[in-house]
Amino acid sequence: MTITHQVEQLITQNKVDIFLGYKDLDGHLIPHSFTRDNLDELSQLQVGENRYSLEKIATHLTEKHPDIKIGIIARDCNQRALNLLYVWNQLDPENIETVNVNCCPSPLKPHGDCSYLEPKQSGAYKREHGIDFNMDAETLMDSYDNTERFSRWMYEFGKCIKCYGCRNICPVCFCTECSLEHPSLVEPGILPVDIPIFHLVRATHMAGRCIDCGLCEDACPSHIPLRLLYREVNKIVSTIFDYSPGAGMEKSPFNIIGDKVVLEPQPMDTKL
Amino acid sequence: MDCKFVPSVCSYCGTGCGVLFEVIDGKINSTLPLKSYPVNQGKLCIKGWNLHEYINSFMRLKTPLIKEKGKFQKATWDEAIDYSAKKFQTIKQEFGPDSIGVLVSAKITNEENYLAQKFTRAVIGTNNVDHCARL
Repeated sequence: MTITHQVEQLITQNKVDIFLGYKDLDGHLIPHSFTRDNLDELSQLQVGENRYSLEKIATHLTEKHPDIKIGIIARDCNQRALNLLYVWNQLDPENIETVNVNCCPSPLKPHGDCSYLEPKQSGAYKREHGIDFNMDAETLMDSYDNTERFSRWMYEFGKCIKCYGCRNICPVCFCTECSLEHPSLVEPGILPVDIPIFHLVRATHMAGRCIDCGLCEDACPSHIPLRLLYREVNKIVSTIFDYSPGAGMEKSPFNIIGDKVVLEPQPMDTKL
Repeated sequence: MDCKFVPSVCSYCGTGCGVLFEVIDGKINSTLPLKSYPVNQGKLCIKGWNLHEYINSFMRLKTPLIKEKGKFQKATWDEAIDYSAKKFQTIKQEFGPDSIGVLVSAKITNEENYLAQKFTRAVIGTNNVDHCARL
């Protein structure tokens, strides 16, 4: 059954009120919402290289209409983001239907649709002074000593133009109050940002959250290797808590507000 | 419930980054970079990311204003255009065309900028035309 058929069934059988997919508009693949009212447009439904955070759009829709049933074209990264949003009560799995499409290629799925299939090119200057996009953590650790790595990360962070794009595009950034906008942590109206604290604040908040979709790195105008940074932060989380964000519906170790209190309430130490 | 995605060009500067507006219930809810746009290749600066804010701002002017007795009064476009045309004519007759200058903007399109310089040179009759981005 083709994707179009699956979506048509979801809509006509009233399983979803709105389906978020993609359509081609003058050569640009952009998100499009398919509903009962525009069923004739379903023939334009397409999947290609461009990825948008459809689940973030779903959270925006849910904010306005809490009971709306939403269908989503889901690659593996979308699915991981959805799992995380369910765990953090941002979306209700009852209200979401997914139509899964190809993602990264594998022997079972030789065809993949993702902008990540092409390795990113790092320029000569970036390779010499910064961190190559295609470098993994092990190579980075083996190739440079502490001082060298620090100076390379500082070079990368120093390019930041404080666009907040990494936060804005992030499907799992849903806090109403963001630490990066807190005046005592990040001084408003000041450029360049305080490095490395700005990036490390975000990195610590990505611990147990980042689902490694890579949209932040895609959106970064300064080519900072954010994906590598957040991967490393999450390696710590998976070593200590044995938790990988978005892998399933397992509750996050960082979910402070749970169903029951696990710590005994104790009086605060007045001697301090 | 209505959800639309409208591609557009950022109106903040002359670079011309491609943006995608997420419109929910007829109101622009957020701005996204247009992934495949050749100019910005899926990236935006902080102004572009917040493009929807000034569109939705309560301070945004929706009608022209004419200053009468030191106070701004709401006016229709016809009234405002008539008023400015008359004022321009009086100034031009009294002090000559070089007493008028036109500043154009990076926030309008190339074609609108062309029209503005044409208006300045051919209608007003002066070379006093400049651009806000000429720093």
